[in-house]
Amino acid sequence: MIRFLLRLFPTAWRDRYGEELVALVDDTGLDAGTVADVARAGVNERARSARAAIAGGGTMTIGPAWRHPTLWAAVGLLVLVPTMTFVLLSMLTYQLGLSGLAATMEPVNRWLDSQRLADLVLVAAPGIAFIVAAAPLVRLTLATADGEPSATLGLRLRAINLVVASLALAVGALLVGHIVWEAVLQQGA
Amino acid sequence: MTDTNFPNDPGLLLMISLAGGPKHGHAMLLDVEGFAGVRLGPGTLYGALSRLESAGQVEALPAEGRRRPYRLTPAGRLALADRLTALERAVTTGVARVGA
Repeated sequence: MIRFLLRLFPTAWRDRYGEELVALVDDTGLDAGTVADVARAGVNERARSARAAIAGGGTMTIGPAWRHPTLWAAVGLLVLVPTMTFVLLSMLTYQLGLSGLAATMEPVNRWLDSQRLADLVLVAAPGIAFIVAAAPLVRLTLATADGEPSATLGLRLRAINLVVASLALAVGALLVGHIVWEAVLQQGA
Repeated sequence: MTDTNFPNDPGLLLMISLAGGPKHGHAMLLDVEGFAGVRLGPGTLYGALSRLESAGQVEALPAEGRRRPYRLTPAGRLALADRLTALERAVTTGVARVGA
């Protein structure tokens, strides 16, 4: 938990004081107050680092997902799986007419109609999955050169992240298309 | 915590603690709790310590396992003396005005 919270701190700060902070928390124990204190300190250090970068005291890189792109892609895929399964089964059942699946899909659809929150999570999942999978492809660097503050956007291409992000976009588009199509059918009925 | 309101200034509390000799994080935390009755959180303590080290007012000593002791630098000792003198003046004036 405490090592996860350390990610809130700038990398240079974490490399210098991280182990000592963990040792201190091992000595004092971890409770809700400690979690809040460490989280607040992390945000403060980030802000201090950003101010220093803008004032010419160094550079600051904002890219929390940059270091573990495969992990972020895996999490994005995990978020996407329920919606992807639902869209795939819906297409097989209603677009391709595999009637054998209708018995499975009908109760699922009825349940989703009665559970608005689950419905909302299912609809939002492709968007969330896209952001999670694509986040490691982008980072922002703040710096000051010759007294002028500058922000540089860094982009990179990684196949696994691009595949998951594209899959999320495709599933999202299919889902939106499905929702619009159903609305049109209901208007016509 | 702000930087100017004793006893809520963690930097000042840490400098007072280190004025008594080098200490690592946990020893500072216990010392501050003992003389000021303030329990600093680990994030607050290391946030303040990193600012003091950046300012050249404290310095790290060689690590002892996972722990690293810190001590006041000569510049830190001077800065602490200045701040305590200013505080003392304020306290003396305040006490005289409230008639305590």
